[in-house]
Amino acid sequence: MISNYIGYYSLLLGFIISASLLFYSIFYLKKNNQKINQNILSLLFLQFFTVAISFISLVYSFIISDFSNETVYNNSHSTKPIFYKITGTWGNHEGSLLLWLLVLTLFIFLFIIFSKKQPVKYRFLSIFFQQIIILGFFLFLLLTSNPFNFLFPIPIEGLGLNPILQDPALAIHPPILYLGYVGSSIIFSASLASLVQNNINKEWAVHIKKWIQTAWFFLTIGILLGSIWAYYELGWGGFWFWDPVENVSLMPWLCLTALFHTVIVLEKRNLLKSWTLILSIATFTFSMIGTFLVRSGILNSVHTFANDPERGVFILIFLFSLIFLAIILFFIYQVEENKIEKNFFLISKETSILINNWFMMYFLSVVLIGTTYPIFLEVITNEKISIGPPFFNKLIIPFLILFLIFMALGPNLKWIKDNYKNIKYSKIILFFFCIFISFYLVQKTSSEILFTSILGGAALYLLFTTIREFLNKKNNSSQTISHFGFSLFVLSILLNSLFSYEFSANMKIGQELVYKKEQIKFLKIKTFDKENYKSVVANFEIKDEKKNITSLYPEIRIYNQPNILTSEADIKTTIFLDKFIVINLIKGEEIFNVRYQTKPFMIWIWISVCLISIGGMLGILKKN
Amino acid sequence: MMNKIKFILFISLFILCFQKLTVANNFSSEVDKISKNLRCLICQGQSVYDSQSDFAISMKLLIKNKIENGETEDQIYDYLKKQYGEWIVYDPEFDKKNLILWGFPLILFIFGGLLIYKKVFIN
Repeated sequence: MISNYIGYYSLLLGFIISASLLFYSIFYLKKNNQKINQNILSLLFLQFFTVAISFISLVYSFIISDFSNETVYNNSHSTKPIFYKITGTWGNHEGSLLLWLLVLTLFIFLFIIFSKKQPVKYRFLSIFFQQIIILGFFLFLLLTSNPFNFLFPIPIEGLGLNPILQDPALAIHPPILYLGYVGSSIIFSASLASLVQNNINKEWAVHIKKWIQTAWFFLTIGILLGSIWAYYELGWGGFWFWDPVENVSLMPWLCLTALFHTVIVLEKRNLLKSWTLILSIATFTFSMIGTFLVRSGILNSVHTFANDPERGVFILIFLFSLIFLAIILFFIYQVEENKIEKNFFLISKETSILINNWFMMYFLSVVLIGTTYPIFLEVITNEKISIGPPFFNKLIIPFLILFLIFMALGPNLKWIKDNYKNIKYSKIILFFFCIFISFYLVQKTSSEILFTSILGGAALYLLFTTIREFLNKKNNSSQTISHFGFSLFVLSILLNSLFSYEFSANMKIGQELVYKKEQIKFLKIKTFDKENYKSVVANFEIKDEKKNITSLYPEIRIYNQPNILTSEADIKTTIFLDKFIVINLIKGEEIFNVRYQTKPFMIWIWISVCLISIGGMLGILKKN
Repeated sequence: MMNKIKFILFISLFILCFQKLTVANNFSSEVDKISKNLRCLICQGQSVYDSQSDFAISMKLLIKNKIENGETEDQIYDYLKKQYGEWIVYDPEFDKKNLILWGFPLILFIFGGLLIYKKVFIN
């Protein structure tokens, strides 16, 4: 009860501080102050502090199951384990927006602390633009999604949290993802500030690069966590379904990855200034679009847990105002590009980074149109179409071949101008050799041999090239690790999709089936009573041709509140392959639907994404 | 020289790793393959294959019957599109109304290529 008051008034106080910070920064900008006033720093901290208090109050309300709070009532239940009571705080719309705000205020505070070497005016301008975003979120929370609404009479019991969200990976997935999303807001504000200040140059690139890498790192890990969760929780055994909500997290990632590369050109050659700026603005826009599409409920997706059109309209207006502001500033303050006779030579590192951007933008456009086109088509022509994996695979995979080759060649080129004579024959021989190995691997599969061989060959080529760089130890290791990770990523996915197989059948207890030299035996079921669900655990035995026995225990959970059935897959992971089994109840009968899959190199998909992000992490830690 | 030997050693080891892979026809039945490409119309964001709803179960039965009658994969998709509309398949058609869908990324790609060409060769 009391935490409700504390939370709400703390939020209100934060709003007032935020508004005063906005005016403060305008005031100081006019006065041409020499340094950042201690007051500003205190206010920034206070702003973060009030939001933190508000957030903690909400967490507290969740812990004590205070059902006088509407958010708690809608999303919690007294029998839920304490861990999920806490994580349930951001498993809903209001709470997750409060978390957004918390991270926003934390980031601007940290940004000002870590940017002491930058010009004062630039720092004030960054505060100014960031405060506009922060104020927008304050208003959004207070007007449309107040997390502290009272309920009277106080309900005895809450409605509970969707059971599929009661999971450790999903508990930390949103906070990490938000660090990435919100990190892009700082990049947005800082870019606008440096546009107005007219200091988009090498020094600025060095400074903003760390923030780009930080946001990129968290975004990558955030997406990875979501995808791991989807793999073991949603029960289809896949990790990416090109579902709209997955796509909206991929869009800022693609944009940020392009920015990550472009900013290096800015740092080394003082080129591509407007393009850096456009990418910074676009990245944040896509983060906001992500929030809009998920929260407005426009999308038809497994993720639509909470939605409300009014909220969508607010975000949409807010988003358009921000884009409008950015465009206006972009035209008022012209970016002065570096005017040298000839900037780009065909064979050079900067051109290969341009090529990276070219492909990134292409992939982005595929994801963007594939996600939004059905919405527009339905509004305009009233026709409904579905866009799923086949569409994305058709448009993305063929382009991946060239992309991988450029990725292997680009980093080895010199800045400004390299000579094509430096490209050694051994590279060409290696390339054909890779295609040959790849052909050898895929020849027995039922896929399109020529195409798959070339794709596999290109991925192998990148893999071997990066390994060679490690051995020669002459190169930028963070880049090499990330690129190596990416080649491993493509290879694992390719091999996984070529060599995994699955089997689905209805089985009774005690039944035994043979599939592909493997014996699958359904031994027994046991039921248990857990804190907030009833659990039915089945026991299966898989015997392979060498008589090795694997026991698997898939589970069905019957949650009490809300009353929902979930299937928990059981997965046995080894470095070569995953054995994945999931069961479902069939209504009114004594049989279960059993789905068994073997998925080679599954763990390497996760490892490779970790490697990609570790590369980025090393980039952050590296000294300038 | 040492590095070259290490490198070649690595490649050979790499190839050896894959000796164990067995080839598989990915699905236990044609029904599974087809039903993965179909949207379960009464569920939220699930394919027919993944769903256990009545709709999905009867759909799988229907596909099974059609295969037994000797119909091909494409014939089955066409039939279902006629019955339930294009919404049921995850693979959008390549036709007039989807022109922007397929064309936009490709045009953007060509446009991007031209921009880079201009930056590198003209100026």
